[in-house]
Formats: sequence, C-alpha cells, structure tokens
Amino acid sequence: MSELAPLVAADGLAVGYGAAPVLSAVAFDLRPGERIGVLGPNGGGKTTLFRALLGELKPLAGTLQLAARCGTVPQTERSRLDFPVSALDVALMGAIAGRPWWRHPGRAERRAARAALDRVGLAELADRSFGELSGGQRQRVLVARALVQDARIVLLDEPFTGLDALSIRRLEELLDELAREGRGVLIATHDVEQARAWDRVLCLNRRQIAFGPPAQTLTLDVLAATYGGSIVTLPAVAGGAEGERLALLPPHHHDHEH
Amino acid sequence: MLDAFDYPFVQRALVEVLLLSVAAGTLGTWIVVRGLAFYAHGVAAAAFPGLVLADGLGFSATLGAFGVALLFALTVGQLAARARGGHDSLTALTLVAALAIGIVLASDVFHSGANVETLLFGSLLAVDAGDVRLAALVAALALLATWALGQRWLAVGFDPAAARGLGARSPLPDLVLLALIALAAVATLSAVGALLSTALLVVPAATVRMVTRRMLPWQAATVALAAAEGTAGLWLSFETNAPPGATIAVVAGGLFALVALGRGAHTMYTRTRGVAA
Repeated sequence: MSELAPLVAADGLAVGYGAAPVLSAVAFDLRPGERIGVLGPNGGGKTTLFRALLGELKPLAGTLQLAARCGTVPQTERSRLDFPVSALDVALMGAIAGRPWWRHPGRAERRAARAALDRVGLAELADRSFGELSGGQRQRVLVARALVQDARIVLLDEPFTGLDALSIRRLEELLDELAREGRGVLIATHDVEQARAWDRVLCLNRRQIAFGPPAQTLTLDVLAATYGGSIVTLPAVAGGAEGERLALLPPHHHDHEH
Repeated sequence: MLDAFDYPFVQRALVEVLLLSVAAGTLGTWIVVRGLAFYAHGVAAAAFPGLVLADGLGFSATLGAFGVALLFALTVGQLAARARGGHDSLTALTLVAALAIGIVLASDVFHSGANVETLLFGSLLAVDAGDVRLAALVAALALLATWALGQRWLAVGFDPAAARGLGARSPLPDLVLLALIALAAVATLSAVGALLSTALLVVPAATVRMVTRRMLPWQAATVALAAAEGTAGLWLSFETNAPPGATIAVVAGGLFALVALGRGAHTMYTRTRGVAA
C-alpha cells in the first residue's frame, strides 16, 4: 500500500485563524484505502485541520498537498436542520462540480444521487426532509453526497457523536467500504477505542503529538500528551461486552456514554 | 367595494406591487434561507442617504440609492454571506450611520423637509413609469438568477465549508445574490420606503417558511402571498386613507403573527395529545 501516491501529504504544517497558529507541526500522509482516526481534545485542532484540508484556511507554515478534492461530513448545525431540502436534494449537491453553473441536475445525476442513497441504505427516505432524519441517517446522507461527488478523500468531523450503537455500527461499516474502494478516510473522533480499529491514528493537541498505526502509537504517554491532565480512564473489563470498553474522555465531554 | 382599482394611479400602484411581489417573493426565500434578513434591512436603510443625495442634487433617485446600496452590499454583504451571524453588529452600525447621515443631509444640507417621510416610508400611490420599469427589471432578474444560480445558493448555504470541495468555490454566485437583494431593496423604496422594505422582502417569505418544506413550493407561495398582501394593503390604504407602505407592512406583519400563533398552537396541541396517548 505504501507505494501508492498519497492523497494528502502534510509537512511542518501550521494553521490558524490569525497570525498565531492554533495547530502546528503537523506531518502526516493519507494513502488510498486508508482510514485515519484524528484524535484530540476539544480545541485540540481537529476541526482546524479539516478546515485547512477543505481549503478554508491557508497554511501559515509548511506544506499541505492534496491529490483530490475533499468530500466532507460536517458536524450537525442547527441551521442545517431547518434547511428546506430533502435527502435527495443534499445528495444532488455532490453533482454541482460536474456541470456548468446554469445547468440543473439532469436525469443521470438524479440516478447517481438515488444510487448513492441506496448504497448508504436510505433509498426509501430519499424524499424525506433532511432535518427530519435521525442523526445517523443524516450522516449517511452526507456520505452519499460525498459518493455522488466521487470524493477520493472523505473527511468526517465527529460523525459518531450522539448516535446509537446500531447507527454507529452502520456508519463504521460504510467507512470500511469507502476505504476498500480506495478512498482515503479521515475521521475525527473522541473515541480512542474506536480508532484502534482503523489503519492509523493522528493525535493532535494544538500540535501533532503522534502519528502511526494505533497499536504502536496509542501509548499512555501519547494519550496523556494528547488529552492533557484530564484523562478519565474507565477500567477495562477483560473479555467484557462491547459496552464496557476502555474510554479516554477529553475535557468538557462528560456526556459520552459507553 | 373595489372602486379603488378604477383609478389609474391605483392601477399603476397595483402593477408595481405585483411586480415587486415576484422579485421579493423569489429573493425573499433566499434571504431567509441564507440568513440575510438583517442584511436586506440594512441595505434598504443604507440606500436612504443615497436617495437624499439624489433628491438634493437632482440626479436619478434609483441611481443614488443603488450606488449606496451596492457599496453596502460589497462591504457588509460580503461578510454576511461568508460568516452567518458574525456580521450583525457591523450591519447595525452601518444601518444607524446611514440613517443618521441621511437625516443630517436631508435636514441641514438639502432641506428636503417633507420628502424625508416619503423616502423613509415610500409613496406607492405616486409611483411613475420608471418605478414600474425598475420593478419589472428586478422581477425578471430575480427569476432568471434563481433559475440559473439557485442550486449553488442552496448548496453553499446548506454547507458553506463544503463548497470548495464540491467545486462551488467561486464567490460570484453569492455576490450576484447580494447585488440582486440590493437592487430589489432599491426597487421597493418607491413603494414601501427604506424602513419598510422588509415588509415585502422578508416577511412574506418568513411567513410561508413556517408551512412549507421545499424551495419551489415555498417560492411560488411566497410570490402569491406577497402579491395578495400587497393588493390587500393597497386596497385597505385607499379605503382608510392610510399610507399604503405602512398598511402593507401591517397586513404582512399581522398575517405572519397569525401563522406563527397558529403553528405554535398546533405544535402544542399535537404535543399534549402525544403525551396523553
């Protein structure tokens, strides 16, 4: 896999909103077919990194190279729930780049959008209002938008927050599928245990703490540096049920249930 | 009872208000969905000093108003379209400054006197052929732009951060929207004035928003509602001898309140029933 040209390559990257970077010393690469978990506390720079990848923020230092445009599954925003669009409308937004600006989506694009909704398991909810869908369904509609866009890089900003166990599993399977198709997937998450299942992890706390395969990378030292002093470690139960796994909670995140 | 519409000046006012309904109805939905209501109010108010200048110096009022409104659109509006919410205090400051400059110009420089009220609240019964032409032009542009750029306005409004990734990175469509809102605000000035422009531009769209869930029916119903409110307000103002701009604003505001109340009552009813069941 390592011979494949990376989809994303960052080196010495620093990004921020003014002159002072809020995230610095970022050096990682995302290869086709890879799932990278982006870990870190709130305010640690996960969303800032995504904004840089989306082209909203320019690097203050270092380089950030992208081989393709990013598809994105953003965090839920109140204003989006009020939007007068159906699931199909949202999926169709992925087809904007493919046509001149004055053209309306044609039959082929509608078919592609319906096929994408079908792939994420929402074919029969295509005409439902986006805001009426459940949290997990909304995330999958946004994945469908990325599929219509045929994004080779897919960014998901804390897509599992607030989802029930079944929705989490469905979304995880969907991400695995995207990676098997050769897409690169970056997932910001609070859940360290979940990230252990992915190919590599990127630990951020205002700067890059570590990057590599989870087994070698997620040591206690790295986790302590990533989450600062406020680690909450729930005792791991050997051979325990899935609901009792080890969890490390970042500050101000007391509502997480496992 | 409908004798009012026998008079040519009322007929012209009716044509004006119907044309404005088409422009305001289509653009109003975009104003609401993109969170630009305060911007729309600001751009109309900002046109006021332009009107005073034009009135005092004797050049076209439309030109004066649109010049200032466009300036406002390119500065504050840019921020409004990019970052929802972050521009409110700037809009408010500019709005107050525009009104203050307009009043000072009117009272101390040009001694516009009685004209000020007309500029602030419009005079629908005194519109001329030029006003009607402008309204027709804005209506046509609003429909054309909605048809051509609506998909982008929707996609960018839905998820601004994703716009670049989706290949909709050009700021041009948003600039067109801002300029069109400025033009529409200027077109409504002669009918309802700088301070009541939102009665046509925002209130009907916000009213219909409460009962529709998709863009197309929302837009069609908003045009119809704006036309109905404009016609009713015009007739009512003629019968009661009240200023037409204010009457239209009262009708539109009253209906908005009724729909909001009705919806609130409906929600409460279904909720309590849900609990009981």
